[in-house]
Amino acid sequence: MTLKNRLLRVTHLLFAILLLVQLLPDRSSNDVHTGALIAFAVGLEILTLAGSFLTKKKESLSLLLDIVGFIFAILTVWSLATTKFDLLNPLLFPAPGKVFAQFAEDREKIFINIRSSLGITVKGFVLASAVAVPLGLFLGWNARLGGAATYISKFFSSIPPIVYIPYGIALLPTFRSVSVFVIFLATFWPVFAGTMSGVMHVDQRIIDSAKVLNVPKPEMLFSVILPASLPQIFLGCNQGLSVSFILLTSAEMIGARDGMGYYVKYYSDFGDYTRTITGLLVIGIVVIAVTFLFNQLQKRLLKWKH
Amino acid sequence: MTANKIEISHLSVNYTERGRQFNALHDVSFGVGTGEFVSVIGASGCGKSTLLSVLEGLYQAAEGSVTINGTPLHGTGRERGVVFQHYSLFPWMTTRSNIAFGIKQARHELSRRERYQIADEFLGKVGLEGFGKKYPSQLSGGMQQRAAIARALAMNTDILLMDEPFSAIDAKNRVILQELLLSLWEGDSPEHRKTVVFVTHDIDEAILLSDKIVVLTAHPGTVNEIVRVPFDRPRNRAELIKTDEYGKFRNRLLSLLYQDVANRIGGEEVVI
Ligand SMILES: Nc1ncnc2c1ncn2[C@@H]1O[C@H](COP(=O)(O)OP(=O)(O)OP(=O)(O)O)[C@@H](O)[C@H]1O
Ligand SMILES: [Mg+2]
Repeated sequence: MTLKNRLLRVTHLLFAILLLVQLLPDRSSNDVHTGALIAFAVGLEILTLAGSFLTKKKESLSLLLDIVGFIFAILTVWSLATTKFDLLNPLLFPAPGKVFAQFAEDREKIFINIRSSLGITVKGFVLASAVAVPLGLFLGWNARLGGAATYISKFFSSIPPIVYIPYGIALLPTFRSVSVFVIFLATFWPVFAGTMSGVMHVDQRIIDSAKVLNVPKPEMLFSVILPASLPQIFLGCNQGLSVSFILLTSAEMIGARDGMGYYVKYYSDFGDYTRTITGLLVIGIVVIAVTFLFNQLQKRLLKWKH
Repeated sequence: MTANKIEISHLSVNYTERGRQFNALHDVSFGVGTGEFVSVIGASGCGKSTLLSVLEGLYQAAEGSVTINGTPLHGTGRERGVVFQHYSLFPWMTTRSNIAFGIKQARHELSRRERYQIADEFLGKVGLEGFGKKYPSQLSGGMQQRAAIARALAMNTDILLMDEPFSAIDAKNRVILQELLLSLWEGDSPEHRKTVVFVTHDIDEAILLSDKIVVLTAHPGTVNEIVRVPFDRPRNRAELIKTDEYGKFRNRLLSLLYQDVANRIGGEEVVI
């Protein structure tokens, strides 16, 4: 890629427009923290420029620039609608700078909450996968049990896991353990069902080649059946992961004392919508980051599949 | 009488399809001597792959018996190496891991390093040098088949069961692989010859490679005739093909194959 290709992009124009808009006089009487907005925009621009030089593939560069371009455009419109022209109710719609300043101010509290939420998710998710995959392998391999287990897992996975919360509260001592329990259930059934369907649908040709090689039983399960079912297992894991986040934040809004869902609920109860919006954005970023990391893992393990 | 390595007697095989029984092989009998190279030819759908799947131990015969080294065949066995008609590599293993995995199952005594050494050696022999780190999905169909052949050959089993192994492979590589197969079949000495059952629909290939050719007839699959190949080894393919004897022998095989088709056209059921 030429330097021109890397640098002459609309995204940078949008960045300039965002900065120029900040020169307009403020119409809003509230504290708008233009400095925080500019700091964020400049930081993002610097990261984007660095990324433009490091990215090797043309498509990923375009994607990066398009995404950042959208963010700059949204910030411009948001800034115009609040700070500059005061079109929206300032209580419900804080200025963008205010949200960034709030994040900076609350960062420690926010990190503690993120850690709490992630801790629960990872615990429930890993525990569920660690039980569901071996069990699914075993039952799926055992043709007779597999048929029955498929129907049973269909039944249980049709129950929205959120309805387990009240029962979980009665059953378990702490709210944290209830959350882990619910995420465990939310992940367990899709991963279990995915593993079983993966095992039961392994290409007969693959099984036949393993058979004529006289692969011994345990190795058959772990070196042949498991990798052959891995795509389906990941399908179940992805489903479990996305449901887990929905569940966890809902659960945190019901009764937790920390976590990102709690942060959002707590401050919206007080009418502090700046913090509410800050929390929403943080949750979005955390979910995207976790999903991205998980997808990288999946890509690595399934790189043989195109 | 020398005992045969593989003895097939009165073998019948049925498939059940939507509750209906379908007789794929009927009363098939022949023997394969120790160190003998036997080809099986016949029209498409006459039951060649079915016959091999019984020898592989993957499919149970309805009637008759198969013995290997005098003992009744029971399931798959370590003494048999198999090349399927379809591609049979494990898609999550690289080409060389696929071969090394096969070697591991057949030859426990080898260390991991030795297995990979042999794998690389055989990759070179089938013309896949430099493709060891690729996954099957990154190779062409013919290349995948060559890797599968390399796996079966590298396992160095007493018996080789091969189902149209070279049919998806280009003419040049096919000649190379035929020569490779022959040299591995011969081994170091006549006593160490492998026993090969080789399915093909290429008459010239069958003549060049085999000691004996079994011609099957379709619907249901039965043995039409068993023909001994009258040419001395080593066979020089360029010279041999020009001789009258070769032409005559080839015509005889063709008529055995077409007799079957002609009978069917003459009858009520036209299949071609
Ligand atoms: N799994 C199966 N279920 C039912 N019928 C089958 C099955 N496999 C093969 N057949 C039938 O048995 C007959 C013999 O099939 P087979 O695959 O052994 O033929 P083939 O001689 O190997 O043919 P080709 O040269 O095309 O490979 C065919 O009529 C086929 O339709
Ligand atoms: Mg066949």
